[in-house]
Amino acid sequence: MISRFFRPVVEGFKGVWRHAAMSLSSIFSVMMSLILVSLMMMFTFNVRRFTQGLEHSIQIAVTVDYGHEAAEEEDRMALAIKDIPGVTTVTFSSKDDELEYYINSVANEEAKKLFEPYREDGKNPMHDAFYVEVDDGSRLEEITHQIEQIEGVDEVEYGGASATKLVSALNLVRLIGMGLTGALSLLAVFLIANTINTTIENRSMELGIMRNVGAKNSFIRGPFLIEGIIIGLLGSIVPILMTYFGYRYLYGITGGHLVSDMFVLLDPEPFAKQLSLALLAMGVFVGFLGSYISVTRRLRWKR
Amino acid sequence: MIECTDVYKRYRNGVNALYNINLRIDQGEFVYVIGPTGSGKSTLIKLLDGEEVPTKGTVKVIGIDVGRLRRSQVPVYRRNIGVVFQDYRLLPTFTVFENIAYALEVIGMDKTLIRSRVRGVLNLVGLDDKGNAFPKELSGGQQQRVAIARAIANRPKVLIADEPTGNLDPTMSDEIMSVLERINKAYGTTIVMVTHDSGVVNKHRKRTVALEYGHIKADLPGGGYILDDK
Ligand SMILES: Nc1ncnc2c1ncn2[C@@H]1O[C@H](COP(=O)(O)OP(=O)(O)OP(=O)(O)O)[C@@H](O)[C@H]1O
Ligand SMILES: [Mg+2]
Repeated sequence: MISRFFRPVVEGFKGVWRHAAMSLSSIFSVMMSLILVSLMMMFTFNVRRFTQGLEHSIQIAVTVDYGHEAAEEEDRMALAIKDIPGVTTVTFSSKDDELEYYINSVANEEAKKLFEPYREDGKNPMHDAFYVEVDDGSRLEEITHQIEQIEGVDEVEYGGASATKLVSALNLVRLIGMGLTGALSLLAVFLIANTINTTIENRSMELGIMRNVGAKNSFIRGPFLIEGIIIGLLGSIVPILMTYFGYRYLYGITGGHLVSDMFVLLDPEPFAKQLSLALLAMGVFVGFLGSYISVTRRLRWKR
Repeated sequence: MIECTDVYKRYRNGVNALYNINLRIDQGEFVYVIGPTGSGKSTLIKLLDGEEVPTKGTVKVIGIDVGRLRRSQVPVYRRNIGVVFQDYRLLPTFTVFENIAYALEVIGMDKTLIRSRVRGVLNLVGLDDKGNAFPKELSGGQQQRVAIARAIANRPKVLIADEPTGNLDPTMSDEIMSVLERINKAYGTTIVMVTHDSGVVNKHRKRTVALEYGHIKADLPGGGYILDDK
């Protein structure tokens, strides 16, 4: 009973050893593929991090119509804005706050004086306002449009037109990165499967011999699957070390951000760890799958 | 033990490899199957070990209707017969010991029993000291003896061999023949052996079935090579 479980494992290890040259070429192809995938993923996820950071700084400014400044009306509006999908926070700013902010933003002390009269009761020309943050910069325009429909809204503006442009540029980069990562992962899967397939092709005769002496397909397949898994494991060691320590190193020398504080890198904890785990899973899965498909295909027509 | 009744074999490409084969081989017999190239000898072997299915008729071995076996049942059936090929078919990366043991692991035999079994058959074929060698370190005759040892390790009632001496010189062929005869005598194993080798057939006389163009041309209980040497 126990040997039924351990036999394929033991035989799998032996198989890797017996076909050392072939195993090495498979391990190498797993290694190269995973390194590429790792680099692409580091890039893509960090670009995503940048855009998320930037998006956070992008706000929608909503001014309230003079006729709707009653507290209950403004509560209603705040709730209505909050209900819009994609809205994360809604902050209220009274017209007095707005005036203070505006006066303070004027650099010239002489000019500031010009605004003093507006501080008097009833003279404030500013509107009450809401500041709205959204979770996805690409939906800024759409959300702005929805807020315009709410009763009592005077004007809606989304700030940081340049930031918005940067976000959409980064989004494009990220999209391309994601596409590349996807394509690359597929390529990696294909490359690995193909290498394994070639090594098993070379051993097609072995499969035939095994059937000749009365081995069932499941008995033949077991060790090959374990071999695939071992190759996946061994092939992912170097990429994992490179990812885990390489990313930490990179993070260390850049101080956690690129160019300015605007481009904050993902913290190695947990990112480097998660990425390493993903690579491990990918190596094992592809090794297993490659072996499974190759062996099954060759056994299918053998009587 | 072996019974072919009205057997026809037509391959997918339209070649009629065997037709109207009626053959009965009893337990303990040692039978040669001879015939010119392309006469259907290997096809007959493939029908016997379940690699191919007859187009018509039934092939029965040890009471099993081989042609009706499902693909998944074929390996289990094979554990009851031994098969030997001209090209030995040893696993190149397995040692001699491991090659033979594999055929026993397949049936889930206990490790200690496997060890003594392998030693026993290696002794029978005269290769006691070659257990740890790899196939490529052996001569053709020795490799074929390993293949025979593997085929009989399960103690099958039937052993079928397709030109087991095909790649061997006369001395080695004689070695193989004496091993096969020993197995036939010692265990009462039924042996069907395809061969081209007139030397072997004439020297070690046995019942001989001659095929020509896919049918049985002659079945000589006393043996002897009846075909013109090409
Ligand atoms: N898998 C196959 N598919 C199609 N035709 C086949 C196949 N195997 C054999 N044949 C054909 O069937 C006929 C009999 O072949 P077989 O291999 O049984 O002959 P044989 O007597 O063993 O010949 P040899 O002495 O050369 O080994 C030949 O014409 C051969 O070309
Ligand atoms: Mg043949």
